[in-house]
Amino acid sequence: MVDLAESTKMAVKTLTANKLRSALTMLGIIIGNASVIAMVGIGQGAQRYAAEQFESLGPNTLFIIPGNDGGRRGGREVPRTLTYEDAQAIASQVPSIAAVAPQIQSQQAAVYGNRDTNATVMGATPDFSVVRSFPVEQGRFITDEDVQRRTRVVALGSDLANTLFGTTNPIGQQIRIRNISFEVIGVMEAKGAFLGTNQDDVAIIPITTMASQITGNVSLYGTEVTFISAMARDDQSINAAQFQISNLLRLRHRIVNTDDFTIQTQRDALTIVGNVTGALTIMLAAIAGISLFVGGIGIMNIMLVSVRERTQEIGLRKAIGASQSDILSQFIIEAVILAVIGGAVGTGIGVGGVSLVGAVTPLQAGVSPIAIVVAVGVSGSIGLFFGVVPAKQAAKLDPIVALRSA
Amino acid sequence: MQTIIRLKDVSKVYGEGNTEVKALSAVNLTIQSGEYCAIMGPSGSGKSTAMNIIGCLDRPTSGRYDLDGIDVSRLSDDDLAHIRNRKIGFVFQQFHLLPQLSAMENVMLPMVYASVPLEERSHRAEEALTRVGLGNRLNNRPNQLSGGQQQRVAIARAIVNRPVLLLADEPTGALDSKTTEEVMEIFAELNASGMTVVMVTHEADVASQSRRVVWFRDGQVLHDHLDPADLNQRAIAAS
Repeated sequence: MVDLAESTKMAVKTLTANKLRSALTMLGIIIGNASVIAMVGIGQGAQRYAAEQFESLGPNTLFIIPGNDGGRRGGREVPRTLTYEDAQAIASQVPSIAAVAPQIQSQQAAVYGNRDTNATVMGATPDFSVVRSFPVEQGRFITDEDVQRRTRVVALGSDLANTLFGTTNPIGQQIRIRNISFEVIGVMEAKGAFLGTNQDDVAIIPITTMASQITGNVSLYGTEVTFISAMARDDQSINAAQFQISNLLRLRHRIVNTDDFTIQTQRDALTIVGNVTGALTIMLAAIAGISLFVGGIGIMNIMLVSVRERTQEIGLRKAIGASQSDILSQFIIEAVILAVIGGAVGTGIGVGGVSLVGAVTPLQAGVSPIAIVVAVGVSGSIGLFFGVVPAKQAAKLDPIVALRSA
Repeated sequence: MQTIIRLKDVSKVYGEGNTEVKALSAVNLTIQSGEYCAIMGPSGSGKSTAMNIIGCLDRPTSGRYDLDGIDVSRLSDDDLAHIRNRKIGFVFQQFHLLPQLSAMENVMLPMVYASVPLEERSHRAEEALTRVGLGNRLNNRPNQLSGGQQQRVAIARAIVNRPVLLLADEPTGALDSKTTEEVMEIFAELNASGMTVVMVTHEADVASQSRRVVWFRDGQVLHDHLDPADLNQRAIAAS
């Protein structure tokens, strides 16, 4: 039996003697591997991106949303059941909560001088800035006094401030929202986009001002809010907070059967996002895996042709003393070399593609070293797997017949 | 004198039942070490089958074949491959050199399968090529060599593992008369230095350079002649 180094040398010699064919054979594996690496890398990047987005909402955050999942899935109108008073009750009665931020949200035109733009107007309380980790950069935020006195003051998101004021200092200026004048008291720090929604295109006003002068709608139970964010004291008290808020709201809403609200923790949201992007990654990887499989079949195809073409060579090798296993290993090694080199080149291209995506999009796409090892290992195994059939065919050739074949 | 080839009642049958063809029937043949023997016969005479069995490329259906004192008639494919590697040097009509390899690498090939260490390989390959007069063509590829030179590379490849038997199948069939002479000279030299040579040929003048002619017909040995003086006449009569 010829040793491995010798067989490898022979295989390399044969492969380099037929460069074009070797390259074309590798192409399938190159494309397959590049797409596996790229798809998994980009998928994981998307997963990380989504996770970061949810983390940016603020730590230990719970979201209390009116209605329940079932109702919303049915496409019915969301019942307007959460009120400002609910939020106040949570703040005063739930011990595991550090801060509560009820919020009323509405799309309105914001006007300064001759500039106007459409912005998200948020009615909020002072705790909003805390709960959502959204500090003021310039000026001040809404105070309790603003909320009590329903003052017409506004804190602008950085983008909105920029759109309306450009280089002018906005503090102390008046803007108009729904034709009501508001004094700009502060500008928020830039927060970036959340799942594609610009969070810096907002105008934040006291929640009481919002309820009485902009949206104006009061539900049966009190001042209706869009949703309530709450911050647990620490990450250990998130579950307790969820339980306590749930109990409190059931009592307040006199619920016997189905809740008319839903509490989602940031962790829930992360899990959902993780599941979705994870499934997406698996799907992408499966599609790419199919092309890797097709690449393997390509190798088998070319190797079968190669065995037929090299019948005389095989006959000669057998005549001068090559055993069946010598021939078998020679052809398998050829297939494995093609697959491994193809795999390495494909991985290189895949990594390049992933870093390109990372450079031009907000996705922090990256390829783990394990993925590379696995990809090259898998393509090597594919070479082994698809090399066996042609190699066996070569090994079984009768030297007499093989030598006579023209 | 040592016996290299001993065929005893060797038969070869192809197919079964109605399609059964008897290629060899009860052939007895003994060739001693140092002999130079030509095997002749019309096509279908069984000379190719005999050649395949002598070359350990095929096994007899019945009978016994001893090569260099080893009964090889019942060995497995891989054992036969080993025997071919160590005991027999093949020269074919079509040379069968690997086009992607240089003359040196072609000659080294049998030693690869004999697991000869690399240094000794190149040393022995160079020696063999020098012996057939190609010491200055070591790194040429087959397509850079003439037909006669290619056949000489093939002869070097055949002798490099120091076989006990040099088996040539129509070695001059693809050569012109001038290069035929060159190649035949090399066979004569090798035989003179003690190599046992068995050559299948249909060319009477090639056979006439041997010292023994075995004539096959209908799967049997028709003549076994030690003096090829009247060979030409016989060849004409037979064809």
